Amino acid sequence: MTVSEREKSFGRILLLIVISLYLLAALFDPASAGQALMKSLSVLKNIAPVLLIVLFLMTLLSAYIQPQKIFHYLGRKSGLKGWGIALGGGVLSHGPGYLWYPILSDLRARGVNEGLIVAFFYARSVKVPWLPMMASYFGIAFTVILTFYILLAAVIQGKIAEKIIPPQSTI
Amino acid sequence: MKREKNTWTRALKAALGTLYSMTPMLLAVIGLVGLFQTYITPEMIHSFFTGSALYDTLIGTVTGAISVGQPFISYIIGGGLSQQGLSLYAVTAFILSFVTLGVVQLPMEYTLFGMRFTLVRNLLSFLFSILVSVMTVWTLEVLL
Repeated sequence: MTVSEREKSFGRILLLIVISLYLLAALFDPASAGQALMKSLSVLKNIAPVLLIVLFLMTLLSAYIQPQKIFHYLGRKSGLKGWGIALGGGVLSHGPGYLWYPILSDLRARGVNEGLIVAFFYARSVKVPWLPMMASYFGIAFTVILTFYILLAAVIQGKIAEKIIPPQSTI
Repeated sequence: MKREKNTWTRALKAALGTLYSMTPMLLAVIGLVGLFQTYITPEMIHSFFTGSALYDTLIGTVTGAISVGQPFISYIIGGGLSQQGLSLYAVTAFILSFVTLGVVQLPMEYTLFGMRFTLVRNLLSFLFSILVSVMTVWTLEVLL
């Protein structure tokens, strides 16, 4: 569970670019730059609890879950069990997708099937807490049908990805 | 007992180390989210649509991908677009790509998963936003 030097330096460069964008915005449009900064701080405040969950899961994975077990439940030959875990995990995961990147890339390094990761990402578009709101805007029938197709599409995409992406591809 | 505590401490240290190393990338993405939320306004998104179902479905997918925020924002914008007479295909594509695609998180995804994975996943999500929106509206029309 380590972050490579390439990943670290890319992160630093990206942060420098974003800081430069803020400085440019502050120079030409200070009000909007301030507004953007406040919005970012509010995002940071909102994601803090999810970060704690991610930290806990990463610790748990590293301490107690053997790679063979992960491979058995989420590897290329995990079958229906694996797809069920990926879809269920995707639907139940909270917070922005990028918060789940570290744990998913770690799981991938431990042999989790790429198709299951792709399915997890797509299943995340079923946002359980927001379903009542979606139903109030677009109707119950629309919400049920869309949810069904999202889960179906998650599995199809996972199957396609399994064929296209070689295991552990980081090219 | 002591051995278990050691295992837990070692794992926690490793996890903290990983998250710490990713902090610059995470802060950069959060910074981009603030910029996108400020400069890409709902009014701007509304202005991209033309009224043509086919073109608007494509535009819905692209604008959903560049928009950021909580999912309910996509329902509010989508509801407004629907009231303005925009096709349900375009609205569905918009709310789908809003949550499945994310331009701001692309750099982080590329760094952690590699070019091939990022490209395949995002292309599939893009295509399936259109496909799922078409299937949803067709099914809705057949059933109701």
